[in-house]
Amino acid sequence: MKIKFGLCILLIGWIGTSESFGQDKKPSFSASGTMGVSYEGYGLSRNPSGWLGYTPRKPWNQVRFNFTPTFNFGKNFSLPFNFNFAAIPTNFAGPYAGIKKPNFGQFITNPMNNFGLNPKYKWAELQLGTQYLKYSELSTGDIGIFGAGFDLRPKTYRIKFFTGVSQQGINYFSGPPSVVGAYKRKNWMFQLGKEKEGKYMVAFNFAKGKDVPSSSSPPPLTVKPQEGFVASLMTDLFFNQGWYIKAEGARSIFTKDLNTPLDSSIKNFKPFIDAHSSTVKDYAGQASFGKKSKNFDIGVTGKYLGAGFQTTGYPYLQSDRLDYTINTRFNAWKNKDKTYKMNVVASLGQRVNNVSNTALKAKQFIGNLNWYTQFNDNFSLNVNYNNFGFQTASGINPFGIKNVSNDMGINPTYTWSNSKMVHLLSLSYNYSKYDERDVISGASSSNNTHTVMLNYVPTFLKKNISPDFSVLYFSNSVPGVKIRLMTISSGLSFPAAKKKMRLRGQIQYNNGKLNSFTSSNNFIASCNIDLKLNKKLTWNTYMTTNYFKYGNEIIPNGANYLESNFRTGFQYRFDTKKN
Amino acid sequence: MKKLAFLSWLCLIVISASAQFKIDLIMSSTPPGNLTEWVNRREVLTLLVTGQAGIPPQNLKIKTEIKTTDGTVIGNTDLARASSFAFAGSAPTILTATEVMPMENMVFTGKYKSSLQRTGKLPADNYILCVQLVRPVDFAPASEVKCKSFYLAATQLPVLMKPYNEEVLDAKLAQTAITFRWSPVSPRTTALITYRIQAFEILNKQTPMQALRANQPLLDQEIRGATQYIWQPQMSFIWVQPGDTDGDGTFDPLKTISQQNHGFIWTIQTLDDHGLPVTQTDGNGEARSEPVVFYVKDKVQKQ
Repeated sequence: MKIKFGLCILLIGWIGTSESFGQDKKPSFSASGTMGVSYEGYGLSRNPSGWLGYTPRKPWNQVRFNFTPTFNFGKNFSLPFNFNFAAIPTNFAGPYAGIKKPNFGQFITNPMNNFGLNPKYKWAELQLGTQYLKYSELSTGDIGIFGAGFDLRPKTYRIKFFTGVSQQGINYFSGPPSVVGAYKRKNWMFQLGKEKEGKYMVAFNFAKGKDVPSSSSPPPLTVKPQEGFVASLMTDLFFNQGWYIKAEGARSIFTKDLNTPLDSSIKNFKPFIDAHSSTVKDYAGQASFGKKSKNFDIGVTGKYLGAGFQTTGYPYLQSDRLDYTINTRFNAWKNKDKTYKMNVVASLGQRVNNVSNTALKAKQFIGNLNWYTQFNDNFSLNVNYNNFGFQTASGINPFGIKNVSNDMGINPTYTWSNSKMVHLLSLSYNYSKYDERDVISGASSSNNTHTVMLNYVPTFLKKNISPDFSVLYFSNSVPGVKIRLMTISSGLSFPAAKKKMRLRGQIQYNNGKLNSFTSSNNFIASCNIDLKLNKKLTWNTYMTTNYFKYGNEIIPNGANYLESNFRTGFQYRFDTKKN
Repeated sequence: MKKLAFLSWLCLIVISASAQFKIDLIMSSTPPGNLTEWVNRREVLTLLVTGQAGIPPQNLKIKTEIKTTDGTVIGNTDLARASSFAFAGSAPTILTATEVMPMENMVFTGKYKSSLQRTGKLPADNYILCVQLVRPVDFAPASEVKCKSFYLAATQLPVLMKPYNEEVLDAKLAQTAITFRWSPVSPRTTALITYRIQAFEILNKQTPMQALRANQPLLDQEIRGATQYIWQPQMSFIWVQPGDTDGDGTFDPLKTISQQNHGFIWTIQTLDDHGLPVTQTDGNGEARSEPVVFYVKDKVQKQ
């Protein structure tokens, strides 16, 4: 109630300020932005009749709308809209999974829809409707919330508040199709800080989410009503020559199941949260420092998430871990024109799970390298290497888990030209090795993948057509299973109608083979047509069709399907200042 | 002499009570690491209490102890606070973790207490759970003690290995095959784990998390046991956003268009042999691993 009252006061103040600037003699007005509508259709025909081995992967029909203008009234007041919504819900993961006929509340809070309005006067912004607000890495940031709040930035101060609903109650339904169900979740967030852009930022963040246990009937079977509160302190400092330090420490208090009874033996944190027998409290922290410049970056990052650290602002965060990585990027080997021939991007790190000793110790080594060199105008070479190793203790099994993935790629590119055209020839070879240890026998199995691809791209200097051709061979083998894929593809792009239209098409044939079964065959044809109807209005169309026929590795033999996808949409871009 | 008589009387009560109620404890050898999750899963713990025919109904309490393998008691029921249950007749009474181990009435000691308060879990180790029925007033035994050993280690969801976070894949390679790899769920159980791999296209004006929570996945496949999946997308990655990015009335050169990335977000949902999420109160409650974003880009056109 107090919150609503506060917001009303703020709104009244707003109207007052709006009126005062409305008294200006010549209030300038401008509007810019985009609006559009698009349709997507999907078709799937499976043979033989009644075979359901391949399932549809898009909605049969979908219409999407977007309306994102910004209205500017004078110098200081702006009114941006962010409306993006779709006609048919298609949720498969998260709280809205399976829902088919949403009510109004479920429709406006569905993450596929945005209805946001952010009127801004000087340093004060009112946030209404759907907002994706990232306060910090450890408090809140991933979740869209439908509600109301503000973002005030007087001088160097930062005062932010927002409250609303991130998900509505959804009843469990056994199906078919089943609906997992969800509890209505209310969210609150608050930030108080000080910031000078490019110099420093210090802020306290508070975020809370609470489910309403009575909001779904019947309630979900596996999902529990929860409540979480997190408080964090973040600091960012920026120094001369690109050096920086960023740090954040946070503590969460999280009730994993609100149906569990209140527990006086666990310390409360009233008025923010009551302790239940399933309430846990834990810490998290992250810090990074480094340097950023035009030709050289280096950074060290560490992140600790205690096993009991949980926040409703990042629902997919995996806790109980300590990560540390060192990243670098640099340019080397100068050309005569002071540009560089060589670019290297690399990272090295380790992640340790089970920092709280409640699970099996797991260590992961992560290493990435991308090394690009432009030797001369004609020849360049890209080399990349990626390693990811995962290892745990044995637990109840005789041997621990050990999975190691190694990938290496080499990609030389050669170009040559004459007065009529430029030729580009690119070869790419990737070797991937994946070793996995069996936890019972201790035996390791290797999974090897080889990929070779050759690309040829001729560019005609006096014509507008741009074709490309490629051939690819892919082979994967594990003991007992061998997969081989061969792909040939070609694309063509060219402008038309006095450059008002751009066309791009591609065809691809793929032949696949599993062990000694007969080959599978796949043919894909696709095309883009982008038409500029006038300076403001464009019409974009994309069509693709995919025919796949299995070998005799599946029953019924000869099974095949034809899949098609069609997208078309109009986009209107406007800016009254340019008129 | 009086003491001896008292002890004899006590033993008689114990023996008679034990004879009146028989208990059977059925327990998973690898229950969930999060103790509050035990009440949500009936298969974790079941206590069968059977009374002799004709005995009058009795109110009894359940005394539960958790011990380490060397016999040290690390947690037990606060019997003063524990609820009483009425047992009668020869028909067995079936109780679950809700009644046998109500966390609000359990008292833990030392590092076990701090671990529970911080994480909701006990340190990973072998433990013994012992259960006995006792009388409400004097807590005298009313049944024999039944114990079961179990191994406790919190479930660690798979970590997504490949494509790694923000990896940029070549569009032509990706059109033929994209290899997904993830670490197995830990600890490995005897039950067959199902990994449900899902990849979502990030549409224009969507955040990655929005795409995951809102879109129909382009890839939705259940993999039993294995930790690698080779996806043949059977798609063309040539679709582009409206090309006039600078608003000058003409389409931008193809080079600019091809530099646009097409984003995807992928995750693994880990399901047990009943098809249910392996963790229900940790994280998102859906047993979905922390998702990873990758991009598909026409690398050759870029140069």
